[in-house]
Amino acid sequence: MKFEGRCICRGKAKGEVIKLDEPLSFLGGVDGSTGELRVREGNVAGKILVFPKGKGSTVGSYVMYDLMVHGKEPAAVINENAETIVATGAVISSIPMIDQIPSVRLFEDGDIVSVDADAGTVDIEGISYKEVVSSVVSKNGKCILEKRPSTSRSYPGYWSLVAGKIEAGETPVEAARREIMEETSIKVGEPLGSMDPLYVREGKVLFKVYPFHFDSEGQEPVLNEENEAYVWASIEDAKSLDTVTYTILVMSTFLS
Amino acid sequence: MYLTREEESILNGEEGEGRQKAMELVTALGKIYGADSLIDITSAHLSGASYKTIGDGGLKYLEDLVGGGAKVSVPSTLNPVGMDRTRWKEMHISEEFAEKQLKIIDLYGQMGIAKTCSCTPYVGPNVPSMGDHVAWAESSALSFVNSYIGARTNREGGPGALAAAILGKTANYGLHLDEKRRPTVVIDADIDGSIFSHSLLGQAVGMAIGSGIPYFRGIHPEVEEAKALCAAMAASGSIALYHVEGVTPEAGNYDVSELEVIHIGKKELENAYDKLNTVDDVQLISIGCPHLTEKEMHQIAGFLKDKEKKNKDIEIWFCTSAEVRDKCPEDVKIMERFGPVLADTCMVVAPIEGTFERTGTNSAKAGNYLPTLCSQRAMCRDISSLMELVI
Repeated sequence: MKFEGRCICRGKAKGEVIKLDEPLSFLGGVDGSTGELRVREGNVAGKILVFPKGKGSTVGSYVMYDLMVHGKEPAAVINENAETIVATGAVISSIPMIDQIPSVRLFEDGDIVSVDADAGTVDIEGISYKEVVSSVVSKNGKCILEKRPSTSRSYPGYWSLVAGKIEAGETPVEAARREIMEETSIKVGEPLGSMDPLYVREGKVLFKVYPFHFDSEGQEPVLNEENEAYVWASIEDAKSLDTVTYTILVMSTFLS
Repeated sequence: MYLTREEESILNGEEGEGRQKAMELVTALGKIYGADSLIDITSAHLSGASYKTIGDGGLKYLEDLVGGGAKVSVPSTLNPVGMDRTRWKEMHISEEFAEKQLKIIDLYGQMGIAKTCSCTPYVGPNVPSMGDHVAWAESSALSFVNSYIGARTNREGGPGALAAAILGKTANYGLHLDEKRRPTVVIDADIDGSIFSHSLLGQAVGMAIGSGIPYFRGIHPEVEEAKALCAAMAASGSIALYHVEGVTPEAGNYDVSELEVIHIGKKELENAYDKLNTVDDVQLISIGCPHLTEKEMHQIAGFLKDKEKKNKDIEIWFCTSAEVRDKCPEDVKIMERFGPVLADTCMVVAPIEGTFERTGTNSAKAGNYLPTLCSQRAMCRDISSLMELVI
């Protein structure tokens, strides 16, 4: 699966992913002579190092140079947003680097990835890709959460927004309306809001999630067979339930 | 980003690997910050001079640059280093550190960079003019030339400023552009005119706004007060430019009537003071962050002239540039009775953590960095209050 990013430092590399979910300070975060990470287990040497962005001391650029001097530098660096410290370190150490990929959540440790920084592309091998919608259907600051049955293939027993796959030929907003109608019998109008797509990995499948916000317009859900229960939940209510990834983030964006 | 044919050819390596790497770095940073083109600079000031801050990775980087024949193409100065070049033993510096530090200074010299190492180059060897585009690192110095002189620079990092110095160009974004130099908030300051109060004012403003471009009313800083204000705001926040009504050259360009107004007075200064003071007794008192000017040297020598150092347990360092030290031999004689007048270094970039645990300073900037970069507990008071501890 190939994604477009932006070239920060030219070059090509292929290797295994090591991923951090938090911003990284090379100073203190990585041993400059061995490549060992100090913020989690693992070593960056020869790996495709994926993290959201750099932080911390500007000396971090020289730590990256130190890694290169010792032959322990990552094969490539992938960031969501490049900043001065890591970009400087990558350029002075000639480490291929790309930023503006949609999310570090595209990646999992051990993925085999080809980086072509000249073209600004990242190719994750052996994963499939699904586009889905996820809608906040709201009433007075609360929205519908549906409980997935214990036999569900994805997140069994978890609470979810009104969600489903985008079918061939459908736009995301059409898919959102259809799913709401199928799962709750509620007919919604134009969306009150939308967000940039979110990404969720489940094993070898990557989901691209389009969030929407609709008004329930006073209608009460009538569930079909896909879910076993529903509640009208506030953000606080949702925090005490087992919810699907991003549920709280999407609710907070639309309902706060 | 638009590049001229000449800039393209540098990027493609036609002028050698050293200039190619410099161009890769300047264009990469320009891309990140949305620059539309490169812009010629008239000077550079570089950080990354102390062996303590750049380590073996930085030393190797400089060796490789020099090996590749890199030279700066505009007048360039260097930040303070980790020790006085000749008096490092008085600073408890190890032989190994001294050897590597001298190597670093030599490598910068081979690239054509002036070997005077100061955080206040604007009082001597490197004085930009109003409207000049420059590439300066060192947060306090770049804020001074932006604000007090009206030159234009972003907050450059060490390697970025060096790359710009090699090319004589930097990326055109941020504070190089008119519209990015507009004030974002008005600060009504109610303080006395002392240097120390300006330091605390800077601390309070950094704590209050973090980043942005403050427009001050109610103060009339001269060079020394402006220097203290710059340094404090760049350390407690990330402020790289400010305006002072009736004082700084660009202040009159802006209508600030619609901006939010923040009042900073006695209470805010007390909070800033409390934040900076975490210890009541010290082993070292270090004065000169940023480096002492001639005027400050005269003031300190005048204060100490008839006094005697009674408490021998506390060491005192005075930090300035070699140039300023050479200009004030009479003052130096008096000050040396209390402690060494060290040139081209300071307590923040020197490896004091191996010797001291508690340090006193008159600088809000040092007060911010002593705990984080030097593992010290810090005391921050005005110079005469600090001297009371030893006389």
